[in-house]
Amino acid sequence: MFWGREPALSITEVWNAPMSTTLSSPRTPPSELPRGGSASKDSIAHARRRRFRPYLVLAPALILTIGIFIPFIAAICLSFTDYSLNSSDVSFIGFDNYLSMLQSSDFWHSLWITIEYAFLCTAVEMLLGVGVALLLNDENIVARFLRIVLIFPLMIAPVIGTLIWKLITNPSVGILVGPMRMIGLGDFKWAASPDSAMFSLVVVDAWVYTPFVIILVLAGLRSLPKSPYEAALIDGGSPWFVFKNLTLPMLAPVLLITLVFRLMLSLQEFSIIFALTEGGPGDATMSLSLQAYNRAFPFYGLAEAIPMMLFLWALVYFVSFILIGFWRRAQQRAAGVA
Amino acid sequence: MKICFTWPSSLAVVSAVSLALPLADSARAQQSTFDWKQASGTKLVVMLNKHPYADAIIKRLQEFKDLTGIDVETSETPEENYFDKLTASLASKNGTPDVFMTGTYQLWDYATAGYMEPLDSYLNDPSLTNADYDYKDIYEGVRNGGRWDLVPGHPTGTGQQWALPLGFETNIIAYNKKYFDEKGLKPPKTFDELYKLAKQLKGWNGPGSYGVAVRGTRNWATIHPGYMTTFTNAGAKDFEIKDGKLVSDLGSAKSVEVTKAFAQLVKDAGPPAWSSYTWYQCGADFGAGKAAMLFDADILGYFQNVPGGSAEAGNIAYSPPPVMKEGDPVGANEWIWQVAINKSSKNKKAAWLFVQYFTGKEHGTWAAINASVVDPPRKSIWDNPDFQAVMSKMPGYLDTFNTIIANTSVKFTPQPYFSESTTEWAATLQKIVLSGADPKAAMTELAKRITAKTSKLKLDQPPKTARQ
Amino acid sequence: MTHSRSPLAKIGKGLQILLLLAYAVFALFPLLWMFIMSIKPDSQMLTTTFIFTPTLENYATVLHSDYMQFFFNNLIVSVAAVLVSLVVGVPAAYALARFQFKGKEDIAFTILSFRFAPEILVILPLYLIYQRLGLYDTYFGLIWVYQLITLPLLIWILRGFFEDISPDIEAAAQLDGYAWWQVFLRVLLPLVKPGLVAAGLLCFIFAWNSFTFPLLLSNNVQTSTVIALRYLASDTVHYGQVAAAAAISALPEVILALLIQKHLVRGLSFGAVKG
Repeated sequence: MFWGREPALSITEVWNAPMSTTLSSPRTPPSELPRGGSASKDSIAHARRRRFRPYLVLAPALILTIGIFIPFIAAICLSFTDYSLNSSDVSFIGFDNYLSMLQSSDFWHSLWITIEYAFLCTAVEMLLGVGVALLLNDENIVARFLRIVLIFPLMIAPVIGTLIWKLITNPSVGILVGPMRMIGLGDFKWAASPDSAMFSLVVVDAWVYTPFVIILVLAGLRSLPKSPYEAALIDGGSPWFVFKNLTLPMLAPVLLITLVFRLMLSLQEFSIIFALTEGGPGDATMSLSLQAYNRAFPFYGLAEAIPMMLFLWALVYFVSFILIGFWRRAQQRAAGVA
Repeated sequence: MKICFTWPSSLAVVSAVSLALPLADSARAQQSTFDWKQASGTKLVVMLNKHPYADAIIKRLQEFKDLTGIDVETSETPEENYFDKLTASLASKNGTPDVFMTGTYQLWDYATAGYMEPLDSYLNDPSLTNADYDYKDIYEGVRNGGRWDLVPGHPTGTGQQWALPLGFETNIIAYNKKYFDEKGLKPPKTFDELYKLAKQLKGWNGPGSYGVAVRGTRNWATIHPGYMTTFTNAGAKDFEIKDGKLVSDLGSAKSVEVTKAFAQLVKDAGPPAWSSYTWYQCGADFGAGKAAMLFDADILGYFQNVPGGSAEAGNIAYSPPPVMKEGDPVGANEWIWQVAINKSSKNKKAAWLFVQYFTGKEHGTWAAINASVVDPPRKSIWDNPDFQAVMSKMPGYLDTFNTIIANTSVKFTPQPYFSESTTEWAATLQKIVLSGADPKAAMTELAKRITAKTSKLKLDQPPKTARQ
Repeated sequence: MTHSRSPLAKIGKGLQILLLLAYAVFALFPLLWMFIMSIKPDSQMLTTTFIFTPTLENYATVLHSDYMQFFFNNLIVSVAAVLVSLVVGVPAAYALARFQFKGKEDIAFTILSFRFAPEILVILPLYLIYQRLGLYDTYFGLIWVYQLITLPLLIWILRGFFEDISPDIEAAAQLDGYAWWQVFLRVLLPLVKPGLVAAGLLCFIFAWNSFTFPLLLSNNVQTSTVIALRYLASDTVHYGQVAAAAAISALPEVILALLIQKHLVRGLSFGAVKG
C-alpha cells in the first residue's frame, strides 16, 4: 500500500472506544505529549522547537493579513483632519469629527437602524436556517435534492438579488402583485414606504443569507459523532430530550460561529440596503454603513465618515468578543458531552 | 449597440463602415494645416461611464489612432459606481486617467479640488486647436455647463472652461400618443393641467398603471429632472446671496408651493413604488405601457421609442415641460456628459487632442446619426438634414427641442455641497410624500440645514488650490 | 439518520416535506424568475409573465461583449484566493484547535477581527497604498486583499471541526508509525471534510461576489455585480441582459457546489452518521 504498513488497531475501533478515555485526555495532540525519559540536550532543543511550532504554523496566516493595519491606522489619522475628496486643503482639526458625529441626531438614528437591522436579520436567518437544516438532514428524496439547490440564493450577487426582488414586488409590474391582491395586500408598498421598508430589507437579506446558516449547520449536523446517540437510544430518551441534551450542546459551537459571522456581517451590511432603498424613504433605513458611504463618496467628506466606521468597527468588536467567549465555553461543554 | 471591441473581426467591420461615412469630412480635416500628429506615439488612459456616448467613442478609437497616432486604453464602469471609482482615481493624483467623462455637478467638486486642467488656453491656441472646431457651434447653455469660475454662488458660464460636452439631455414630457389620440387628449401645458390629466389617467391601462412616471429615490437625481425644471420654470431659486453669504432659498413661498404641487402629483398620479424609482424604472414603466406620461430626460423617452425598444415603441410623442402659469417662458434643466483632462496627467497635449476630436463636429455628427448619441450639443448637427431625418421619426421631438433650447441650461446654483444638499432635498421630498411631513415646515428645516453649511463658504474668491 | 435524533420526528414526514417545499418556493422562485428574465426580450419584459417568446439574444449579447474576459479574471482571482487560504488556513485552524500556547486566543481573535473592519473604512488608504506599491489591477494584489475575507471564515469554521475530533485517533495512527503529515492527510482531513468543503464553498462565494475591493482596486477584475450592472446601460434598462450576466456568473459557484456536495452530505466516512 502507498501509505506503508497497516495499523494494528483500525480507526473505527479507536473511534468506538469507551468514552472515558476521550473525556480524560486534554485536547493536546499526541505529538505534543511529554515523552518521558531524561532531559537530554537533544530533547530540550526538540521541546523548544515544539514550543514554537504553533507560532510557525500560524505565521503565514498572520503575515498575509497583518498588512491591513497600515490603511487602518492611516484612516484613523485622517479622521483627525478635515480631508475631503473635493478640496486640496487639509488641516488638523483634532476630535472635531468625532464630536460632531456624537452630537448629530442622524448618527444615533443610524446606529439604531443598524442594530435593528442586524438583530432582525440574524434572528430570522438563524431560526429559519436551523429549521431548514434539520429538515434537510433527512434521507428522503426531496431533502436530498433540495440540499444542493437551496444553497443557490447565496450564489447570486446580493445586489442582483435585490434588483430581482425589487422587480418581483413592484406594485406596477411585479409578478407578486396578483397574488398579493388576492390576499388583500394589493397596496403593500414593500420598500417604497417607510413603514414596510425595514421588513422588505429583512426579507431580501434572509433570502440571500439563510443558505449561509443552512450550509454550516448542516455540516455541523453531519459531523456529529454517532456513539452518544447510540447510548441515548439504549437509554430510551424522547427525541426532544435527545435534541436538547445531546444535539444542541454538541452543535452549539457551530451555531455560535455562524451567529458571530452573521451578526458581524449584517452590522456592516451595505450593498443590499443601498440597492433596495439607498437609506430611504426619508431616513427609514439609513444604516451606519450607508451614512458613512454617503458622507465619504458622494459628499466627498471622507474624514467625517471615518469616525462612524470606527464606531461600527468597535461595535462589531465588542459583540464578537462576547460571543466568542460563549463559543469557547460551548466548545468545552461539547467536548464533555462527546 | 453591441460592444464588440474585443472581437477583431467585428471591429474590422465596424471600422470599415464607419470610415466610409465621414470620409469626406476626415479628408477635409487632413487638408487643413492643423497637425493632428503632434502627440503621436503617446498612450492615453481614458475612464468612461457605461453609456451610449462612451460606446460611440469606443467604436471610433481606431479612426482616432489613425489620425493622431495616439493609443487609447479605455475602461467602462456602470454609472452607479462610476463616480466613486473616478473620485478615488483623481484623488490619488497619480496621473491616471488622462481623460475622463464627467457630469456637470461633479465638475464643481473636481475643479474646486484642483483635479481638472483648465481648457481655455488650449481652446485659444490655434496650434493646439483645429480651426474647424467651432466652439460657438455648441449651444450656449450647454457649453456654459462646463464653465465656472469656482466661486460658490456664481452661475455656470463664468470663468474657465473645465470640460467639453459629448451629449446632453433636456427634461420634457413624453407621452403615449396612441392612447392620447384615441381618447382625444392633449399633452399638458401647465402644471395644473399635468396634475389633472395624470390623476385622470390612473389605471388607464389595467391594474398598476398610472398617470406620470417621475423619479423618487433618495438621491440628487430625483430633484434634477422634472422637479427642478418645474421649480425654475415657476421662478423659484435654490440659493441667493444675502449679506455676502450663500443662503438656501428653499424655504421661500414659491419653493414651498412647487414642492407641495409636485408632492401631490406623486401621491395622486405617480408610480406606487415611487421612492424606489430611478431613471430606468421610470423609463421601463413608460415603455411597458404602465405610465401614460414620463416627466424626465428627453433621451429616456427617446430610447423607449426606437423599434424593439419596448412594448410601446412607436406609440410615443414628446412635448415641452409644463409651466406654472400660462404664458410663462418654458425652459428646462439639463444634464451634460462631458470629457475633461486630469490635472495630474502627464500627456496633456495628447489628452487635449482626444477631447477635441470627440467633441468635434465630425465625430459628433457621425455619432448622432449612427450611434444614437442624442442630444448632440452642436447646432450644426441639429441643422443637418440626415440627423433631422432620423429625429423626425419621433413625433414632436424636434419641435420640443427647438422650443426649449434657448432657455435650457444648468439651473442649479454651483456650490461644493451640491451633492449633499440636493440629496437631503430628495430625502425631504420623500418625507413629504410618504411620511406626511408638512411641506412648509420640512422645506424650512431643509433650508436651515443647508444654510448652516453653505453660509460658511467664502464667496469673494475661488479656493486657494484652484486659483490660476 | 435515525429518527430518534431529530426533534422534528414528532411532526411526521409529510409535514416535514411540506415545510421544506414552502421554504424552497421562497428560496427558488426569484431564481426561476431571474432565469425567465434572461430569456425574455426587452420589449416583453414587463408586460408578460410566463407566456412570452423566449430568446437567447440576451445571452448572445452578453457573451459577445467583453464579459468573458472579466469572468475569467474573476475566476482566476477567486480560485487562487481560496487555494491560498486553504494552504495557509487549514494548518492554522489545526494549530488553534490542538496546540496550547501563550496568546492563542488573542491571535485567534485577531484573525477574526480582520473581518470587523467595514471595507469603506480602509478602502481609500488601501487604494493609495496599492497604487504606490504597483499592486493596483494585479492578480496578486486582489488575491492578497481577498485573504481578509476568506481566511478568518475558513480558520474559525475549521477550528471548531478540528476541535471536535478526539486526539485518540491521532494517537492510534501515530502508534502505527504514520508520520505527522500522513496522519494529517489520511486521517484528519477526511474527518473534517464536511466543514472543509462548506467553508471552502463559502469562501469562494464571498470572494466571487466581492464588490468594493475589485471595484476600487482593479480595472480588469470586476465581479458579477459590477459586470451585470453594466447591462442596465444608459439608453434603456436591459433587464434581460442583467439576468443573463448574473446567471452566467452563478455557474462556477453552482458547479463547485455540485462537485463538493457528496462530501458535504455523505458526512464522516467513519460511521458517525448512520444510513
